[in-house]
Amino acid sequence: MSIHYYAPKTLAEAISLLSEHAPQCMILAGGTDLVPKLKNDAAAPRALVYIGALGLSYIRQEGSRLAIGAAATWSMLTASSLVSSCAPVLAETAGMPATSSPGIKNAATVGGNLATASPAADLATPLLVLDADVCIQSVRGARTVALRKFFTGPGETVLQPDELICEVSIPHCLGISVFEKIGRRKAMSISVVNTAVRVALEDGCCRDVRIALGSVAPVPLRCPLAEEMLIGRKPDRELFKACGAAALRASSPIDDAAATAWYRRTAGAALVARALGKAAGLPDTLEK
Amino acid sequence: MNYMLSFIVNGTATDVVVTPTETLLDVLRDRLSITSPKRGCETGDCGACTVLVEGLAVRSCITLALTVQGKSVTTVEGLARDGNLHPLQQAFHDNGASQCGFCTPGMIVSLAELLEKNPAPGRDEARSAIAGNLCRCTGYVKIIDAAMAAGSIKEKGGPL
Repeated sequence: MSIHYYAPKTLAEAISLLSEHAPQCMILAGGTDLVPKLKNDAAAPRALVYIGALGLSYIRQEGSRLAIGAAATWSMLTASSLVSSCAPVLAETAGMPATSSPGIKNAATVGGNLATASPAADLATPLLVLDADVCIQSVRGARTVALRKFFTGPGETVLQPDELICEVSIPHCLGISVFEKIGRRKAMSISVVNTAVRVALEDGCCRDVRIALGSVAPVPLRCPLAEEMLIGRKPDRELFKACGAAALRASSPIDDAAATAWYRRTAGAALVARALGKAAGLPDTLEK
Repeated sequence: MNYMLSFIVNGTATDVVVTPTETLLDVLRDRLSITSPKRGCETGDCGACTVLVEGLAVRSCITLALTVQGKSVTTVEGLARDGNLHPLQQAFHDNGASQCGFCTPGMIVSLAELLEKNPAPGRDEARSAIAGNLCRCTGYVKIIDAAMAAGSIKEKGGPL
């Protein structure tokens, strides 16, 4: 079967192509998830729409928000001084060897990580704690979806077949955000469990808290009940341990080839506690 | 459907007719006989296929060829200048950093990107640069030694 390839130069052209060819078309950016699927016939679209030439690789300030174009790569996040000052957790997550390798990060995009919607997506959890919005375009116009409402299942999102993620938009966030993950090796490691947290303190007590978990549910998960436990409380190691356990109680990890549900729940709770401690500025007794 | 791909390979403007599912690796090896990038895992994991596109190390096995339209691609064959080996090639030779050689082009390309940005990296930075390049022979130590040696050649203003 013959596949058509399009490399539109404008957004209008791109969304028109998607509208014309949906649902048999796929959007190609870095291709790090799509091309392996094409190669083993897990995907067989009739058309590929390459979005690398649309000028969607920007990272810029828009008012008080940080706007990251959907085609910005992981390497761009790490190299961006704007990301390092406004949302350093993204630069750290994209920069750590555990999340991937330089050859992948030079191609893999922010939009692609969200659109592929693996429950283990390493950028999803930090973006969730940063209260990110996903900006989407189609021939029907633009719409914005809060990231916490974006994922609907493993590999599934609210995106319609003819819709394109254009931008991820992040508000100015108070506090310190931390991302932690556990994988099976030091680099290029799919998360067995990952977490991101954000803690903003006021007068020594937690004022804003966000906790997100990956790889322990069908979607990357916010944990509002665990977050509420901490509001108004002083940072405390035992409290954070209890909070980590509460966060994992709200999840539904499974046994799979990488790890068991028991491991994910146990290690995940400890990971959340450790991340909260780091975000709240507690000295970390575990790190050597 | 066939499409014309026009791009620059190791400094030479090149036109080749491709299908959308041909990868950059397929085009380099099978159409252009540039065989330094290797078919290893073909899923983007092992790094043996790594080449530079616009100076950035990418996995040619999962890069669709048409996405490099108009771009410049560099493989190990393109790193030498005027008959002089790139500092990394010289350093790999001097430090015995190759055994079977299968991973070597990918290793050199990944380290070449690092040295362009950071002419005098430390051992940890070199390790991170090759985090996605597997070697089954050497145990990596001499590869890192070579990266350090190449860094000091670059720093002293050697070729490239």
